[in-house]
Amino acid sequence: MGDKDPPDRRKFLKVATCAMGGGVGLVVAGPVIRLVIDPADKQTVTSPTEPLDLGDARQLTLGAPPTRVEVIAPLVKDAWVASQNVVLGAAWIRRTGADAFDARSAVCPHLGCAVGWDPAANNYLCPCHDSHFGIGGEKLSGPAERGLDKLDLKVVDGRLKLTWARFKAGRSTQEPA
Amino acid sequence: MRGKLAAFFRERAAIGEHEPAMIQGGASFAYVFGSVLVFLLLLEAATGAALAAFYSPSTTDAWGSVAYIQDQASLGWLVRGLHFHGGGAIVVVAGLHLVQTAVSGAYKRPRELVWWLGVLLLVLTLAWAVTGYVLRWDQAGYWANRVELGIAAGTPLVGGKIRDLALGGNEYGNLTLTRFYALHVVLLPALVTILTVAHVALARKHGTTPLRDRPAAPRWPDQSLRDAFAMALTLAILLAYVVNQHGADLAAPADPSQAYDARPLWYFRWLFELRELSGSAEKIVAMVVPAIVGGFLVALPLLDKKPERAARQRTLALGALAGMFALIAALTVMSLVRDSGDAELAKRSEAAQKLADRARMLARANGVPVTGAQDVFSTAPMWKARTIFAQKCSGCHDDKRPKDPKGMAEFKDVKGPYIAPGHGNRAWLKAFLMNPNAPEFWALTKLSKASVKAQANEDAGGNTDKPADKKPDPKKPDPKKPADKKDDKKADDKADDKKSDDLAMPSCCVRKAGPAPVKLEELDDLVELLYSLSGAADADKAKVARGMTVFESGGCDNCHTMNEGGAGAAGPGLGGLGSRDYYTSFISNPKSPIHMTADLSEMPQFNKELSLVDRDAVAAYLLWLRTATKADLDALGPL
Repeated sequence: MGDKDPPDRRKFLKVATCAMGGGVGLVVAGPVIRLVIDPADKQTVTSPTEPLDLGDARQLTLGAPPTRVEVIAPLVKDAWVASQNVVLGAAWIRRTGADAFDARSAVCPHLGCAVGWDPAANNYLCPCHDSHFGIGGEKLSGPAERGLDKLDLKVVDGRLKLTWARFKAGRSTQEPA
Repeated sequence: MRGKLAAFFRERAAIGEHEPAMIQGGASFAYVFGSVLVFLLLLEAATGAALAAFYSPSTTDAWGSVAYIQDQASLGWLVRGLHFHGGGAIVVVAGLHLVQTAVSGAYKRPRELVWWLGVLLLVLTLAWAVTGYVLRWDQAGYWANRVELGIAAGTPLVGGKIRDLALGGNEYGNLTLTRFYALHVVLLPALVTILTVAHVALARKHGTTPLRDRPAAPRWPDQSLRDAFAMALTLAILLAYVVNQHGADLAAPADPSQAYDARPLWYFRWLFELRELSGSAEKIVAMVVPAIVGGFLVALPLLDKKPERAARQRTLALGALAGMFALIAALTVMSLVRDSGDAELAKRSEAAQKLADRARMLARANGVPVTGAQDVFSTAPMWKARTIFAQKCSGCHDDKRPKDPKGMAEFKDVKGPYIAPGHGNRAWLKAFLMNPNAPEFWALTKLSKASVKAQANEDAGGNTDKPADKKPDPKKPDPKKPADKKDDKKADDKADDKKSDDLAMPSCCVRKAGPAPVKLEELDDLVELLYSLSGAADADKAKVARGMTVFESGGCDNCHTMNEGGAGAAGPGLGGLGSRDYYTSFISNPKSPIHMTADLSEMPQFNKELSLVDRDAVAAYLLWLRTATKADLDALGPL
């Protein structure tokens, strides 16, 4: 090699260098990128699919305003850690008949703030962007695009059993997150 | 188009047209080491950034997050392996770079500063490795760091302060990890980057030291091609090694109570061996020798000042350097040979490896508890109970005995009923009722005929070890024999009642004396009744009701009662049979009148030996076994 090299040869050397350097870069970048994006398509934090116990059903009386309950998972695996009794979120529950109950996620369907109960207005209120929801969860006013998300609440042997779920925010229909 | 774009940025970046950089004496493979080092540093940066996106520097989480990277995240093992072994590769290539520079005399005037920056970079690289090794918070990293800081603490005057500063206080803890993490990913990378830029810029300014009398060649692409090839080769070797090792090793979580054979990273092995060899002088040696080595490297350009660069004219300087490397290599090999010849060490290493495998298996299966990775063992399902069971119970209750009665002689000491998955479930209860004296139940205990007879023979002076081989003595009932106690309500007639089985409990279905045998079709109802006593939620209520009738018609109530806490007329009370409380009570005192009585029970009382919590844990385990299968048990892994 040297100044006397024909231009074709020099060009080949340049291409070969770039190819080798690029190859080295790709071989390193491949596993690194694979590792970094790994959590994106994994359920890294588990959420219980089985119904969670909320206590005795008799605590709810017909006609009473909704009760706020914390939803606590007995076991959550968060990446490498396993924790017990983890608070997942909150729900509003009330009795709607002798054997009928209603449960609404306290997660606002607009942008995910925690929805509260406004006893004066007798409706749900999201403090972040002023969305109002009726006692049945239906949307009354504000930017939310749908009513409060209904959660599955059953009574088994006199105990309230709630199935927790999260839904996508900002949609007009309820889609699992 | 491309020219225009290039011109656009060249103007904005104020870069004028310039002459291509030339290499005096031509391009050479001798010059690739610096470039390979820069490549390896970039490799460490890229893999390190990815690892930092997973790593958690706290004593409770560090090991768990590293185990997660290694065993669960996609290609985490590969990235971690490249990062860890890449560090080793840096030390190797830096050594080659140093030797090449020294041999070609490139440290001589005016390039001394380049050399000194290089030596400083080498020291920082080694410190970088030290700060990284502790982050994994496993036994290997933890104990190696303890030794290293112990050496640092030996520094006169300031040693103790250095240690406390590095530790972040008086003892290993969360601040130790956050501080070493800060050093490893912020301070040292920043320092090394700045010094590397200065080192390279200065080296470029001075140009390479010509090796040969050849025409100059342009750096691009002549030298670049060689550099790229060397990088590719380095990466290929590194990759092959990492794949072969499946990343980097990870020992069990750091445990200050658990002895461990601490070994430094391989490039500090020579210092380790030096300490071993120097006996009581180890503290001084550990301080002084690295200082001498470092001092020699720094002083080299000052000692070897003459302008000659040819190697054979500089035998003294190069000879000293060669001697130093030879010594380091020899010490390294000695240390490795010493370890590989140590059979005891090999045994301990194997045990440590088993512990590590188990910890990682448990972390994968159950996650790491919030209390910290070291609790990964004790919070594993049934771990405590299984440990107690293995230590206290399996001696008598192991299910490894052969079912064939002939082979049982050698298991004479393993007396009790087998305890295995399915213990106390319906099938187990049924098998027991059909033949309580089967090998898997009472065959070798006082409660069964064969053993009662053997006992009688032994008492008569037979003194044999093999009860099963002994011919049974057909008539003589043992005087202190328990069996009489039971199956007859009329205690007085009992002595003559020779026809009845002399068993503590006869089979429900084939007994010859006493109440009519239970019919097979009734047996399931009786089983269901007994099964329901544990409080099992899935008991069939109709069957249980029928079982009550069978319990009476079959004469069970002659000996037994189902009253909670009550003793039967001539047999154990069955109240709560198979429940957790029942098991706890039984384990606490099997000799209680409500259980087997002191006459009949050969099982020790555990109310002193085991705490109530431990007894309860074993009881919970027995309960778990009822519904468990062999596969469930295997899934818990080895202890």
